Amino acid sequence: MQLSRHPPRNCSGALDNTGQNMTVDESEQKELLNLLLAVAQHDREAFRQLYQRVSARMFGLCYKLSAQQDLAEEALQDAFVQIWHNAGEYHGDRGAPLGWMLTIARYRTLDLIRARRSLRSAGDDMLKHLEDGRWGPLETRLQQAGATALTGCLEELSDTQRDTILLSYYRGMTHDELAQTLASPVGTVKSWIRRGLMALKRCLER
Amino acid sequence: MKKTPERFESLAAEYVLGSLTGRARQRFERWMMQSVQVRQEVWFWEERLGQLTRAVPSVSPAASVWANIERRLWPTAGETPHAHPRMRWLWPSWSLLASAAALVLAVIVAFPHQTGTGRDVQLTGAVVQADVSDPLWLVSEAGSNRLRLRPVAAVDAEQGRDYELWVVPGDGSPLSLGVMAVGGVYEVTLSEDARRLLASSRTLAISLEPRGGSPTGVPTGPVLHITRLYEM
Repeated sequence: MQLSRHPPRNCSGALDNTGQNMTVDESEQKELLNLLLAVAQHDREAFRQLYQRVSARMFGLCYKLSAQQDLAEEALQDAFVQIWHNAGEYHGDRGAPLGWMLTIARYRTLDLIRARRSLRSAGDDMLKHLEDGRWGPLETRLQQAGATALTGCLEELSDTQRDTILLSYYRGMTHDELAQTLASPVGTVKSWIRRGLMALKRCLER
Repeated sequence: MKKTPERFESLAAEYVLGSLTGRARQRFERWMMQSVQVRQEVWFWEERLGQLTRAVPSVSPAASVWANIERRLWPTAGETPHAHPRMRWLWPSWSLLASAAALVLAVIVAFPHQTGTGRDVQLTGAVVQADVSDPLWLVSEAGSNRLRLRPVAAVDAEQGRDYELWVVPGDGSPLSLGVMAVGGVYEVTLSEDARRLLASSRTLAISLEPRGGSPTGVPTGPVLHITRLYEM
């Protein structure tokens, strides 16, 4: 059960065309893994170092998702409290250590967003971009980088499939919010997402 | 909900994406608990979609964030003059726990061959909730076949409901370890089956059930917590 069905990230050049980054990334992940192991033994100094190493990455994500300083800060705090208590739960099947920590931060941010039902302002921003028929500069950059990260598979999706997936992922939008933002029936939005994700999976597995 | 591979493939993706919400999300979490394949599917998406986060720019958080984390984890570590009384009470127990952990470690190191015929590791862990700074329960093994949950920040289940503890196996249905009262330490003797499952999966879950526990033998209410134990 502990044998991963999936190759570890960056074990093949196809997943990351910046060859130089591969070793940097691998040694970084190894250091993060060592810090996590020490944190699982309740080593506070390791925890402090871990925070220094990854908090800006995690906070960037919390902030990107919520577009709210205080919510992002609360999510980051919660995520680190969780990492302190749950470091022992990390294992290789859950991806690289940084990815695991970013996942914790992301879920927590989404929880808080939903709990506060505060998505409306972020949704309105997005609506403006979409009404213009274009993404904001940051979104374009993210979209391109996202496509590279997923080995070009996002480019194989239809525009609506890709947009709904990225809006869910980066903005934490629910089906209802997407339907409202994209002025489309919920059923249609659901089917874009579902078909998009399955097409993405088929592509990633090739 | 039909449990076909296509179904869990699609639900796992939506769970990670975040578009699966409300009751559907809770139902899926229960399903995750029952099957390692479903969990692996979730991990697949967490890792693959996680690559999207690489493109998000880093932003340094304010210094107060770290201070708050420290204050939440180690309430007496700061120099807050008006520490909460409950927090002050907690601190000795935490340090006791730390020395207990150190003691057990020392015993294992000193007598590596005297571990007997049973399992030679002790499992420990904590049931935590993201918005509560203290663990809800601390979990430890008492001897080779007893499991102990000590409530710290856990609160009573709502009126007419009970918490039920489960061992979550790598595959198949969870096995009940009984209904827990929150008032005191909950200790349960593990059956041979429960010991075997726990030794391999090291995963416990707590669900909210009707008073007296699940009427069906599998979790029927929301799964509140899933926790993985680690070797002490």
